[in-house]
Amino acid sequence: MTTNAHVLPPKQAAAAENTSASAKPTSPSDRTGLGTPFIVIGCILLVAICLFPFWWMSLSSIKTLRELYTIPPIWWPAAPTWGNYHKVLFESNIPRYFLNSVIISVGATGLALCLAVFASYGFARFDFKGKPLFQAFVLVGQLLPTAAIIVPLFVTLRVLGLVNTYWGLILVYMIITLPLSVWMLTSYFKAIPVELDEAAIIDGASRVGVLFRITLPLSTPGIVAVVVYSFVTTWNEFIFALCFASDSSVKTLPIGLAEFSTEFNTDWGAVMAASVIMTLPIALLFLSMQRLFVGGLTAGATKG
Amino acid sequence: MSRQSTGYWFILPALVVLAMLIAYPVAYTGLLSVTDSQSNFVGVKNFATVLRSRATPQAFWNTLYWVGGSIIFQVLLGTATAILLNQSFPGRSIVRSVALIPWVIPSIVAATTFAWMFHTEFGIINYMMTAPGLIEQPIGWLTNRDTVMPVLIAINVWKLFPFVAVMVLAGLQSIPKELYEAARVDGANFWEEVRHIMLPQVRPVLVAVTLLLVIWGLNSITIIYAITRGGPANSTLITPIQIFRIAFENVQFNQAAALSVMFFAVAILIVFFYIKALAAAPGEAR
Repeated sequence: MTTNAHVLPPKQAAAAENTSASAKPTSPSDRTGLGTPFIVIGCILLVAICLFPFWWMSLSSIKTLRELYTIPPIWWPAAPTWGNYHKVLFESNIPRYFLNSVIISVGATGLALCLAVFASYGFARFDFKGKPLFQAFVLVGQLLPTAAIIVPLFVTLRVLGLVNTYWGLILVYMIITLPLSVWMLTSYFKAIPVELDEAAIIDGASRVGVLFRITLPLSTPGIVAVVVYSFVTTWNEFIFALCFASDSSVKTLPIGLAEFSTEFNTDWGAVMAASVIMTLPIALLFLSMQRLFVGGLTAGATKG
Repeated sequence: MSRQSTGYWFILPALVVLAMLIAYPVAYTGLLSVTDSQSNFVGVKNFATVLRSRATPQAFWNTLYWVGGSIIFQVLLGTATAILLNQSFPGRSIVRSVALIPWVIPSIVAATTFAWMFHTEFGIINYMMTAPGLIEQPIGWLTNRDTVMPVLIAINVWKLFPFVAVMVLAGLQSIPKELYEAARVDGANFWEEVRHIMLPQVRPVLVAVTLLLVIWGLNSITIIYAITRGGPANSTLITPIQIFRIAFENVQFNQAAALSVMFFAVAILIVFFYIKALAAAPGEAR
């Protein structure tokens, strides 16, 4: 919040109309623009709305029990404590759940990426009978209401003996992220000139060789976008994990977090500490890859 | 090796997996809905049982309230954010990154954090409203039947408006510069540009995004389930949660399947009419 209060010094007001002040020359807004007061107030509000809950969560995680239950609330704890983190890290199942989440997220992301790479290449480079139908089928996967398939999926997993196993959740998460991954990668592959493929094939490369030596290296941003999307989705998913993983050997972090708060008694300090532990890795991954991710996502949407 | 068959081999693995874990379960839902727990055929008995439950119509209206309320504010706030972030100003990329944070925070974390902030006695929200005298007494946001749904909708809006913003921003940046130049020659001010250039040009993006939001809204359970589980007194019970509770709390898979079938049918109808309504509209818009 404070970093953005001075983001637009008064002298910029005059420069706002000026092309030299624009961060991006292609942006249209260096012509007529929203007035500076609007921009300043808008940015402050936006940043406050987006960050405040995150900040309050972090702050609550380093308060003592007494400080948590004080009115008026304490804006900065007198003696920040790591007690809540200690409780979460050493006296609960959270580390185990963290490991489970990593295994399941990495597994599902890797598998979804493999399948999506081949399927997208097939869709981007070949014409075959029934292709629109198959593409529609892939998209329907995105449209299905979760609630409508959760029961039969549970029954299916039970028949396959995959309830309460890593593989069960990996399979389920893979199909959740597969449709959008195929969608994003197909538009990326289409943007790569087909002449490159043809030249490589004349030089004796196989189709799969072309895919791995030419298409994939040229679509790194698309791959990154798919990986981030799959990983974030899988890491954050709650409902399927709640249904398909009731044993603590496979439970994921979101389930662990929900377990801290029971109906009658919630250890808010521990919950907030666990929330921070769960959010930090994903936020760091996302923010470091953000540019590539947003590019991949919106390319798929605006061209598709 | 014909091109035709090579293409099939590339897409086959993905199709097999999707068929196994989507097509099969969907077909299986249909079967479950007309049988009992011993797999005997019982006709529409499960449907009748579910429809007789007083919770069913209430959950239906709650679902419409939840989806409709969420979408209106997600789209309004998201579009406003996109227009703001489309401006050039120093520090724009920082603000843009920060604006994505709600989207990346796990739903369950958002739910618990807001539950703490809306806590009746020790929540920061009640304090911020009672201290300057906006309200006389702390409100039981999550326990009062009149306030609980609007609060849950607000959390859902907070979670997803960044997604709308990202998509609309991409749409805004693909608008040809000539359109703005022409408008400037005609002496248009900023708000006229918003109305006559930006909004019409991002219309296709808004349509696609709204459709996704409808689907996600119909799908989302996490925020509501984590905070209220559908209570108090079923005031936040939406159909997906009702299905979940019939299946996994009452262990009535067949009734849950019957409700799933009806929910699926209504969801498809809504999506269908939505697409039709929008397909008819662009002609008059241009």
